[in-house]
Amino acid sequence: MSQTLDSPVADFELDEATSPDTPWITIVWNDPVNLQTYVSWVFRSYFGFSREKADRLMLLVHNEGRATVASGGREEMERHVESMHDFGLWATLAKDDS
Amino acid sequence: MTPFRRSPEGVTTQLAAHESAILADLARQLIELLENRAAESPADLLYAQLGIGGPADPPLDPALARLLPDAYRGNQEAASEHRQLTELSLLERKVGNARAVIESLSDPGALTEGQLQSWLRTLTDLRLTLAARLQIETDDDEGIGDDAMLGVYDWLGYLQGSLIEVIE
Repeated sequence: MSQTLDSPVADFELDEATSPDTPWITIVWNDPVNLQTYVSWVFRSYFGFSREKADRLMLLVHNEGRATVASGGREEMERHVESMHDFGLWATLAKDDS
Repeated sequence: MTPFRRSPEGVTTQLAAHESAILADLARQLIELLENRAAESPADLLYAQLGIGGPADPPLDPALARLLPDAYRGNQEAASEHRQLTELSLLERKVGNARAVIESLSDPGALTEGQLQSWLRTLTDLRLTLAARLQIETDDDEGIGDDAMLGVYDWLGYLQGSLIEVIE
């Protein structure tokens, strides 16, 4: 999937980005529509997860309502979220406060 | 007959003529929905060419809101900035996927890898749209609406499940 431009959003909010040690996370939320087999396939084909890991995360989404599927820099997480929206998965990014 | 088949050439669709017609019609409606949203954006040619300059607020239509969700939860400022930079591109890709599905319906050959990706995404977008219309909001909701629409929703789920099975 081609990316038209790198999002410069991270530059706008220096107050939130002052701690480079705080990674950002991509969260996938449960929805009543997407098939479990599809979600697992998306996790494998996009993130390159093993079937075991993809199925575990998919079940976490289904049973717990959400799962963290990636962590790292803000721009990278924004790209992941956009890709998940391409697939029709409901995803958001957030600072990792855990 | 199963809706998809894997052959040495790749995945081919095996839809009946009336099924193809329904799917093409749904894909056209999806394109219209997405293009109407894109048309709401203030037109700045340069921004549009870059795929930025999208709207600051999420769509009011629940189907569009689900197709184009906020990237941030509980942070409207960040969600709004992100939406302005990305929504038009996302819309454009979704429209492109739906167009690719329509085109492939009139082509008896095997789906290309790109078409296959478009099929998976468009079937998902159609199901999300119908689910919003049927007010399916939790795992326990069975949908409120006429039987025909519920039937189409289930059928699209069957198509998607079959396609995943074939590519796995």
